[in-house]
Amino acid sequence: MSSSLRADAVPPVAAGAVTSGGPRIVPLTGSDCFLRAFDDEVRRYNGASHVSQLILRLGPGFDVEVLRRLVHEVTVVVPLMRAPIRRRYGVGLPVYRTDLADRMPLPVVTVHASEPDGGPTGPLPDAFAARMNDRFLGRRGRLLHFDVVPYADGARGTDLAMSWLHMLFDGTGSETFIAQLDRYFQGTRGAADLMTYDRPPAPREQMSARGQRARAWRAHIAHLGASPPRSLAGPLRSVPQDLRLRVETLGVEETARAIERAKALAGFLTPMLFYLAVTIRAHDRVFRARGLDPGSYVVPLPVNLRPKGVDGAIFRSHVSLLWFQVQQEQVSDLEGLIADLKRQRHASIKGGLVEGGVAAMEFVRFLPKRLYARMTRRGMAGELCSFFFAYTDQFVPAAQSFLGAEILNGFHAPAVTPSPGSCLAMSLRGARLNVTHVYQSDVLAEEEIETMRRSVRADLIGEAS
Amino acid sequence: MTEWSVQRLAQLVFEIVRDQLVAVGDDFTPQSDLIEAGLDSIGVTQLMLALEERTGVWVDEGLLTPELLSSSETLAACVHEQLAQS
Repeated sequence: MSSSLRADAVPPVAAGAVTSGGPRIVPLTGSDCFLRAFDDEVRRYNGASHVSQLILRLGPGFDVEVLRRLVHEVTVVVPLMRAPIRRRYGVGLPVYRTDLADRMPLPVVTVHASEPDGGPTGPLPDAFAARMNDRFLGRRGRLLHFDVVPYADGARGTDLAMSWLHMLFDGTGSETFIAQLDRYFQGTRGAADLMTYDRPPAPREQMSARGQRARAWRAHIAHLGASPPRSLAGPLRSVPQDLRLRVETLGVEETARAIERAKALAGFLTPMLFYLAVTIRAHDRVFRARGLDPGSYVVPLPVNLRPKGVDGAIFRSHVSLLWFQVQQEQVSDLEGLIADLKRQRHASIKGGLVEGGVAAMEFVRFLPKRLYARMTRRGMAGELCSFFFAYTDQFVPAAQSFLGAEILNGFHAPAVTPSPGSCLAMSLRGARLNVTHVYQSDVLAEEEIETMRRSVRADLIGEAS
Repeated sequence: MTEWSVQRLAQLVFEIVRDQLVAVGDDFTPQSDLIEAGLDSIGVTQLMLALEERTGVWVDEGLLTPELLSSSETLAACVHEQLAQS
């Protein structure tokens, strides 16, 4: 597909418009700093940025000019959306310099030409993957970009990708942002309602207790590193980032079967462990086909730390990580694998490792980001993990439409570093499960991608692959 | 016989959820649905761990259903049953 630029102009902000009030600086969270370290690594070794994406496949009726206007209006009110990320005076915690945001460019909305026979139910536009390999500049407030592909001038629908430097939102935050933007469009919320810079809840524990938790977390990671993982990409390497993106949408009946299997095998509270097991087995197929020793499979699972029951915390990431480790011989038995993942999850929560992860990430915010990334990789023989995985349940469940156009489908394309170079993300939109595969182009051959696709489908719906 | 009545357990569940796990408003009561109040899977595990610490009984999360989490009272009844069997 052509991604030639059709319109890329950014209308000027109205004369006299100034960034509204709010704090002059907004500190990055611990998990933001974790992501920032890997953004720095990708920048230095792979010439790109650590960019996440949310994709909406829309029916007719979408007006790109309305999107452009809304984004610019909201950005003027919410300075963090274009605030440079820097350490104040070069030292201390990294912060969003919202006091400098007025000098930074507004987020850009790029419209791409579409294939004549394309549509929002067909293959994804190449422009979306290309944007994931673009360079975003956190230091200069370039944090957010929209790409729009209208089909037959929008009469046959539109594909929309919102891409952001990963610190700006986590997955939940990005979905809340989209829902709030639509409410703003409908006139039920004001732009100022988006300006939620919720601080994570203040730690209830003394510094010494948090230090103890952070040490316990470090010990846990060291324990994982005793049997280090090997990713399909291998350890950190200097190659241009070239992420590709595929999505497979299961039918309604297939999705119902997958949900039922997740409930039966992993319990209604922890379906993500079923999807994680499916993901481990899909990668294992490739390791076995290559005759490659994976060491152990080590996978982090993001845990949403937002205060529960509140609508907010749109910007910055509010997550901890639960780490799982399984040996290759455990993988062939799906039920046994899930049982072990359940056991590990329970032990980690009981051992306070959710809070320990937060404490560790909070403490290392003060470290230089290069040291931070190096420390993380050193514990696992140069790897971060075996691969990435995410399960985010229902995708933007509150919205049926976006800026007046029906949402036909929607899902995430998570940020992936070229090593480990592969991520499977799963989410539900209505009654259909989306499986998004983001991978570095030279990490997986075409037949290996197909092997993984077949393995995932077979495990999800309970059929032999 | 257990020293925990269903009513006392319901109050305990209610207080743990309200004070430690979920940001709830004044309308949150022992009859409120715990999932709808915002309790997620991590929260449920943390709740069960807190209950274990207080009562000495672990209720396997695999036994829990949406119906049992439909209020502090229904969950308390389940925990009480486990206590009686222990």
